[in-house]
Amino acid sequence: MKLAYYPGCVAQASGKELDLATRWVCRSLGIELVEFPKFSCCGSGFSDEANEVLTVALNVRNLALAEAAGLDLLTVCSTCTGMLTLANLRYQDPKVKARVDSALVPLGIRYRGTVKVKHLLRVLTEDIGVERVRAKVVRPLGGLKVGAFYGCHLLRPADELNWESAEEPHAFEDLLSAVGATPVYYRGRVMCCGFPIQFVKPETASLIAGRQIDDAKAHGADAMATPCPLCHISLDAYQNKAEKAVGHSLDLPVFHLPQVVGLALGASPEELGLGRHLVSTAPAVAKIGAGARARP
Amino acid sequence: MTEATVPATFDIYRFDPGHDRVPRYQRFTLDLPPHTPILTALLKIRAELDPSLALRYSCRSAICGSCAMQVNSKSRLACETPIGPELARDGRIVIEPMRNQAVLRDLVVEQEPFWRNYDRIRPHLILDPRHPMPEGRENPMTTEEVERFKETPRCIACAACFSACPAVEADPAFPGPMALAKLYRFVVDPRDQGHQDRLLRIQTDGLWLCLRCHLCTEACPKDVRPSERIRDLKEMAIAVQGGTEHGSKHAVGFKENLRDRGLLNEMKLVRQTSGAVGVLEQLPQGIHIVRKKREVLRAPHRIEGMDEVEKIYEALDRPEEKP
Repeated sequence: MKLAYYPGCVAQASGKELDLATRWVCRSLGIELVEFPKFSCCGSGFSDEANEVLTVALNVRNLALAEAAGLDLLTVCSTCTGMLTLANLRYQDPKVKARVDSALVPLGIRYRGTVKVKHLLRVLTEDIGVERVRAKVVRPLGGLKVGAFYGCHLLRPADELNWESAEEPHAFEDLLSAVGATPVYYRGRVMCCGFPIQFVKPETASLIAGRQIDDAKAHGADAMATPCPLCHISLDAYQNKAEKAVGHSLDLPVFHLPQVVGLALGASPEELGLGRHLVSTAPAVAKIGAGARARP
Repeated sequence: MTEATVPATFDIYRFDPGHDRVPRYQRFTLDLPPHTPILTALLKIRAELDPSLALRYSCRSAICGSCAMQVNSKSRLACETPIGPELARDGRIVIEPMRNQAVLRDLVVEQEPFWRNYDRIRPHLILDPRHPMPEGRENPMTTEEVERFKETPRCIACAACFSACPAVEADPAFPGPMALAKLYRFVVDPRDQGHQDRLLRIQTDGLWLCLRCHLCTEACPKDVRPSERIRDLKEMAIAVQGGTEHGSKHAVGFKENLRDRGLLNEMKLVRQTSGAVGVLEQLPQGIHIVRKKREVLRAPHRIEGMDEVEKIYEALDRPEEKP
């Protein structure tokens, strides 16, 4: 299948490893990624707080680029998914559409509203299917206990995302099982990572992140995995601050979604950029090796 | 016609802070038709099996908001939640009190913090003398005016949103989703004169602690959609006052940031949100991250078609375009 690849800002910068892993996994599963050098940032749930119509217009421009090429959009970030989906919906409101069009039509940009916004998790579980992913596994994850961490904007508001149950999703866990990991179910998996207020009130943001990591650990997780690079910043790059907030060591590796899949499909840790994490993934990767060897 | 019954296992949270050192879960199993509301089951348990079970309820019709509790970890009104689907999915029904409120006994929680937060937003109409009140009549609004807040009056103050909110859980400075949704209702009410003042006050009283996680919108049994109204409040507050707090500076800064290159310049945003002092405060964490992720120091590339992006800003980011 062929999709318009919308990497988002973080995967093109501090979260480069997410981009590496996404490309590796898509290559391996025969998903062709078409690049659009004209894509702009989704606004991340912040710029619309300053100007919603502007943000919708910028995202409709992104969607129109994919539409002109006849492609659906592949996202690798929960927040990008949420913002682009929201733009699709808000553009259906005639008042919003009129204002957005007043800016876009003079530029020759017209959007018919046909583009579906699909996160990689959804493509892997819905379009490729967990069975096809399972068939491609060359290095099952040896029962590594992984706590999925969905990220708010991939699930909620559920009636807008129109996909999984917001309270009891299972796509990520299904995928983890397919690649030989053991999914860990914990309350925090559908909670917030705290990222949106990291610059408003860092101590509160870090406390929220720390609680979700604690929760995953309390349920036996060897690692977490997230489909959202913003959650990844909060859970990995800021885990040291989360440790301070909860008052004890956490030391829990956090994978990006395609890294977990990539490991099982035979990618090396280097190809997936695992060396770029702030919390070392080496103990978790070593466990996979031991678990895989222990298999008959 | 009598419906076939199914065996229903309940694990109910029991705790009396005056006597018990720690909470426990008490198991009850009884045969009930699958459509039985959880509240009906709990009342049956109390009537027939254990009269000491404490719970709050009143109308049994999803109007009073008293019987909100956690059903298999989800915020629910017990009176409108049937046992069947819960049993089918989880095999049992775990009943716990609401979160973020101290337990008084069993399923009864202390509501005082919830109401105190509600009081923070001055939850009453501050009549605007410029909005004429016709002699001997009620103060009318146009249909269009009422449409602006048609969702918020559905709120029954059940506190399901307050219980689900991670910001409430982590920080008492956040007034909670219901209080802010109700504030929105007064801010857009044309009869209220507090509009500007209300927005100025809330900017420094917790508005920007909303995580926009939408857990409140998901938990709300009346589809009030607090997270979306809080977003609206943020945009209105910025329209009135611009970026004054860390939260509003971040939102305004983010919007301005994208106008340079079309993609986010992370380093610049820290400066825009936190100022020079903030950058210094962030320095140790920056150094921590740069060890593995040198890209944060670099500005992003400039996307193609920035002329289009600039024209969209010119068309839609003018002061008169504000909400």
